[in-house]
Amino acid sequence: MENELFMNAGASSHPPVITSPSSSSAMLNWVSMETQSVDPSLGCNLFWEKSTEQSIFHSALSSLVSSPTPSNSNFSGGVVGGENVMIRELIGKRGNIVDIYGTPASNGNVSGSCYATPMSSPTPGRMMVMKTTTPITEISGDPGFAERAARFSCFGSRSFNGRTNSPFPMNNEQPVATNEKMPRISSSPALKPLVSRVPTGESSGEFSRKRKAKSKQNSPSTVSPSKEIEEKEDSDPKRCKKSEENGDKTKSIDPYKDYIHVRARRGQATDSHSLAERVRREKISERMKLLQDLVPGCNKVTGKALMLDEIINYVQSLQRQVEFLSMKLSSVNTRLDFNMDAILSKDIFPSSNNLMHHQQVLQLDSSAETLLGDHHNNNLQLNPDISSNNIINPLETSETRSFISHLPTFAHFTDSISQYSTFSEDDLTSIIHMGFAQNRLHELNHGSSKQVPSHMKAEL
Amino acid sequence: MASADKLINTYVPEKDVFALHFLQSLSNLRTQNPLNSPDKSIDRVRKIKKAAYVSMARAAGGTSRLWSRALLRRAAKDDNKSVRFSRRKRKVTWKISSKRKRSNQRAPVVEEAAERLRNLVPGGGGMETSKLMEETAHYIKCLSMQVKVMQCLVDGLSPK
Repeated sequence: MENELFMNAGASSHPPVITSPSSSSAMLNWVSMETQSVDPSLGCNLFWEKSTEQSIFHSALSSLVSSPTPSNSNFSGGVVGGENVMIRELIGKRGNIVDIYGTPASNGNVSGSCYATPMSSPTPGRMMVMKTTTPITEISGDPGFAERAARFSCFGSRSFNGRTNSPFPMNNEQPVATNEKMPRISSSPALKPLVSRVPTGESSGEFSRKRKAKSKQNSPSTVSPSKEIEEKEDSDPKRCKKSEENGDKTKSIDPYKDYIHVRARRGQATDSHSLAERVRREKISERMKLLQDLVPGCNKVTGKALMLDEIINYVQSLQRQVEFLSMKLSSVNTRLDFNMDAILSKDIFPSSNNLMHHQQVLQLDSSAETLLGDHHNNNLQLNPDISSNNIINPLETSETRSFISHLPTFAHFTDSISQYSTFSEDDLTSIIHMGFAQNRLHELNHGSSKQVPSHMKAEL
Repeated sequence: MASADKLINTYVPEKDVFALHFLQSLSNLRTQNPLNSPDKSIDRVRKIKKAAYVSMARAAGGTSRLWSRALLRRAAKDDNKSVRFSRRKRKVTWKISSKRKRSNQRAPVVEEAAERLRNLVPGGGGMETSKLMEETAHYIKCLSMQVKVMQCLVDGLSPK
């Protein structure tokens, strides 16, 4: 088991002897052995006093854990020689290690053969920690070995120092997220602040409190597998976790709590305010993208300001359209008998109706747009040939009198829109009469020369 | 942004729903004013417009959307009626964005545009910017649907 590794490395008194498959019990064994250490100072301080050993140990461990089911050769290759040297030194210094390792017969996993042949090939399905001359008990092949080993390294770097009896936080027992995180463990400096919190004797309950998936907790000491070592930086409602993941950010919505867990990006401030700010900004940009898909013609526009202007214009134009259409409807109502049955039976909403009819209305809409959009021009340069003509076209069949009766509605309508210059009736009639002459001409050119300035036409 | 749509719900019913609601409201208008043109055309236009908005709000989700809720409330207030609100599943937290302590740190460009948007979208005054944009997206969808419906209606009704 990986515990052996640490045992040996830390030269703790008892071999961990892990029989039980569960990692928790393994840890327990380890811890119990820690506490029972015959020689509290055995190796622990010794081992870790050598600062270089740490880095070597970490690197060795990382290489170790990166291959969960290594062959013997891997081990031997992976382990830096220095480590073996260290361990050999330890063994040399503490001659009774062998005895100590031999004692725990309770677990029954200890086999002399293991000790005798530390470098022997691992039994199938088991991982062996190969230290050259260190007695090693069997390591049960454990998929969680890597994770646990990695965790050990994290906590080992600090916790070993003079804290042989420190209650080892049980959190590490649970399999850490994935193996892929293991290589990062070697960055011990990053871990030090993390680890420094560990030996403070925080109860595992504290850690568990931060777990988002409480249902996954099997025991107070268990850790949700999706969580890594947490750093309690702030007790904000937004739980922020520093992770060694480079530039990685995860955000998950907790079904149990209303917290949104955010990870601080590497190299960025972990201030709760800035994190919240960042989350907010990302929310807004995400929604902006959503809006960009809705509003036509926004793909070219880049930048929040222009995009928002575009959106605002679009909403305004839609509202104007509704208003204009309602006005049109009212005018239609006055001329026709509004018969519900007739309308419903008329199949008003087909996919395609009279094409000409549509085109006529198209032009009407375009004329409306030009009318509305041209509010800057006070002198009614409204493309009188097309627009006024098109105003007439759909209503051409009706009597001109009725049309002229609608002029007031138009005027009223334009009045209601304060931003537009008010068209006087005279102007409108003049335009209309101008357009009359060119009626025939433009009737023929219905669909050909029609430009589609607004989305409304596109829809039709 | 299909993935974003899944998180942000911008579902809008089909055109038929909007059409049905609008026609119903129009027929109500008709029964209210049996005479052909008792009032001026302005009032008629306004009534139709209001009917359009109200029917759109109802079709779009009644009181389950913030903007539709505000729209209906506004319309009901004008008529001195009261709106029946469905029970909200989740409590809506109202944040008065102007009173934010750190408002000066929120991107001023965005906030200024958001202010304009708030004036346009009904019920936008009490919304936070991100929520506002959600509502705007849904509002735009519904508005365009309503415009389509009205256009078709006008097409159908206007003489050939």
